[in-house]
Amino acid sequence: MPDVAVKPTTGDTTGGSRDGTPPAAFDAIVVGAGPAGAAAALTLARAGKSVALLERGIFPGAKNMYGGVVYGRVLDHLVPNWWQDVPYQRWVSRRATMLMTPTQSLTIDYRSDRWIEAPYNGMTAYRADFDAWLAAKAEEAGATLVCSTTATSLLRGADGRIRGVSTDRPDGDLTARVVIACDGVNSFLAKSAGLYQAFDPSNFTVAVKEVLRLPREVIDERCRLTGDEGLDIEIVGCTAGIPGGGFFYTNRDSVAVGIVVSVIGLAAARVRPEKLLADLKKHPSIAPLVRDGELLEYSAHTIPEGGYDVMPELVGDRLLIAGDAAAMCLAAGIWLEGVNFAIGSGAAAGEAAAEALDQGDASVAALAGYRRRIEANFVLADHRKFRRVPHLIMSERVQRQYPPFVCDIVEKMFTVDNPTPKLGLRRWANDARRTHGVRLRDLLRDGAVGLRSFG
Amino acid sequence: MSGADTATTPQSRPSVGVALKFVPLRVEVNPLTGMVSADDRLAGASPADEAALEYGLRFAEAWGWDLLVASAGDHRCEPMLRAAMAAGANAAIRVVLPTDTAAPVVAAALAEALGDCLVLLCGDYSLDRGTGSVPAYLAAQLGAAQALGLVSVAAVGEGTVEGERRLDGGRRERLRIPAPAVLSVEAGVRLRRAPLPAVLRARSAPLQVLPTPVPYAIDPAAGTRRPYRPRPKALPSPAATMSARDRVLMLTGALSERRTPAAVRTNDPVQAADIVLTFLRERGYIS
Amino acid sequence: MSAVTDIRAGAAPEAPSIGGETVERQTWVDMPFADRMATVEFRIAERPHIVVDSELCEGCSTQACVTACPADLFVPTADGKILFNFEQCFECGTCYLACNVEGAISWSYPDGGFGVVMRRS
Repeated sequence: MPDVAVKPTTGDTTGGSRDGTPPAAFDAIVVGAGPAGAAAALTLARAGKSVALLERGIFPGAKNMYGGVVYGRVLDHLVPNWWQDVPYQRWVSRRATMLMTPTQSLTIDYRSDRWIEAPYNGMTAYRADFDAWLAAKAEEAGATLVCSTTATSLLRGADGRIRGVSTDRPDGDLTARVVIACDGVNSFLAKSAGLYQAFDPSNFTVAVKEVLRLPREVIDERCRLTGDEGLDIEIVGCTAGIPGGGFFYTNRDSVAVGIVVSVIGLAAARVRPEKLLADLKKHPSIAPLVRDGELLEYSAHTIPEGGYDVMPELVGDRLLIAGDAAAMCLAAGIWLEGVNFAIGSGAAAGEAAAEALDQGDASVAALAGYRRRIEANFVLADHRKFRRVPHLIMSERVQRQYPPFVCDIVEKMFTVDNPTPKLGLRRWANDARRTHGVRLRDLLRDGAVGLRSFG
Repeated sequence: MSGADTATTPQSRPSVGVALKFVPLRVEVNPLTGMVSADDRLAGASPADEAALEYGLRFAEAWGWDLLVASAGDHRCEPMLRAAMAAGANAAIRVVLPTDTAAPVVAAALAEALGDCLVLLCGDYSLDRGTGSVPAYLAAQLGAAQALGLVSVAAVGEGTVEGERRLDGGRRERLRIPAPAVLSVEAGVRLRRAPLPAVLRARSAPLQVLPTPVPYAIDPAAGTRRPYRPRPKALPSPAATMSARDRVLMLTGALSERRTPAAVRTNDPVQAADIVLTFLRERGYIS
Repeated sequence: MSAVTDIRAGAAPEAPSIGGETVERQTWVDMPFADRMATVEFRIAERPHIVVDSELCEGCSTQACVTACPADLFVPTADGKILFNFEQCFECGTCYLACNVEGAISWSYPDGGFGVVMRRS
């Protein structure tokens, strides 16, 4: 025992119980060393708790993939001056949203000097680097990181209460007084604990991505960047009518291009995902950016995109869930965020668990501080604010009708059609609406949802 | 192997030694520059080295011996050594050596670390363009029997193993090897998964670090030792005036006289060496 | 090329008739699929973490796993069953999410230290 736990467990009211079970090996076990798990382990270790951070990959980040940008504000109080040693690729200086049809594209492209100086806004990074960096911070704080170890199930005592996790290693049961499941989008632990009332596959999207090697100067030139500046583009209308979207972003010596589509939609359309991606790469607005890139890594991952309304119960008896495991991914069109929500929820879970451990009680009531914390900060507030947006973004209208509708209006606006006089925005809009079967009623309703959410 | 035994009397029991090398398990070649780069996160013991460790663990269990692992290299091989301790090794030693050290020096370093082991196991050759000569040097250094490139090994009596080795024509030979011996094995058996308590213990287990040994028997004038590679034989290309059939015949050598493959069919080492030398002399490889 | 043109024209991808023998599989060749997968590191476990109950697949007309799996691990056979590989799996979960035959795909994470190793994603 002494050489197992880094720190002695604090108090013993929830670990070793009256029926003679030995005291827990750790105060807390965090399953999954992604951003959520690393943040949870970091806050627990800082609070003086002994914590085991289990990771099934050979290093943290080995199983992780994302759409490209880490927004760092959430790190400010966890890792002061994090930007000084974070393994970033580029600081995002240009943030663009692109509406696309097979032959048209409309881009809103914003660039700011303020985003390329401390404290920065967003960065691109390889997850294998970033996640390992954050997990190393947790280790420095005293957490015990154990890689190559898959948590297979929750370990329960004779009284049925959680007392740790079972892993796939021989002699692999590990006990703790509280478990934080940050085991990702497929979270088998949260499901087995019954925290998901209804598990609906239609809440998930699948992303496939290519990372393409290009010389740094070529990237700078093509994307109009200098130094450490980076570009991130979110794309709507590039998935052949399957609900979803696409993205493009720059690393230092590579660019990444990917598509995100509804799993159910993809299956129904019977198209191979890499073909959708190949089509995006051939689009005249994207092709010049990726031309001659040599494939460095192909990858895929699923994303929980259902938003606030499909989130599971976040707290169980001696159990908290955070990050993708708790469906904390914001897919709200112009905002696509996940890593920051994972860090925010993980840190809150760690703090709440430490608080509960101090009280010697890790029941649902004692762990309520978790929900209280994330209700108060951006984690749940943003999700609640945009609860209707995921549905809107994935709707037939946004996916199929609005991109060509908007593109046509803009096209007419900028097509000089002399000698025909300019008809004016209202006429163009009405024409485009008729061409694409956009009903005014839908447009007003969706506009209202958008205004209420984004306004 | 109970923890108490090993903690109190590490020296009193005979031991099995396993030498591991930290090698890149995936390399990438930049198509433009031809630069080869390796990712340390994907580096570690090769499958053959892991097979050696697994066999070593089996022997130690069967005989009630200790198991020592050693590696010659920089600090990067320490996680690999800790993983070996988690899998069941009683102690781990790292000898400080740069990568790309010549095989005799590596063998000398390993002999220093594992010299007391009666049975030593290695992978057949390291993946980073190794030649498989370290185990042979090691055996020479320790004056131990050597059996290299074994397909499988199994413990028979205490300190004795039986190994199987490939021969030409799909045949196998079975060797009975008494200690002291150095064995090198092919990849095949998988390393067992380390128990979780052992993984946690190995994180903070002491790891012995030995300084770089003084190189032995290296003639500075001789330069780096490499296995001898005969020069390729230059073949003239067929003259353009020849008919297509003749050119094909010339290129394939289909109808030309051929020498039958030479085979060494004797059990006497001296005689066998003579046959090999005569053959090489006839072909002009040596004079 | 024709497949690309279809998408450009905004047409929904054609779904073959139910039970049709060819689902659209790699008609558009960007790069050989094996080359694409060769860019990814996989540590192959002894235990398969995907198990397909092929008996259940025989009655399945959609065979969603075949087209949806990003690693293209599922292959339909002539007798309506599914052959599957587990070795080059991204562990994303798309197959069991897309599958509409209860219990046909059993899926868990591979043993610790095995499976996909992503480094630049």
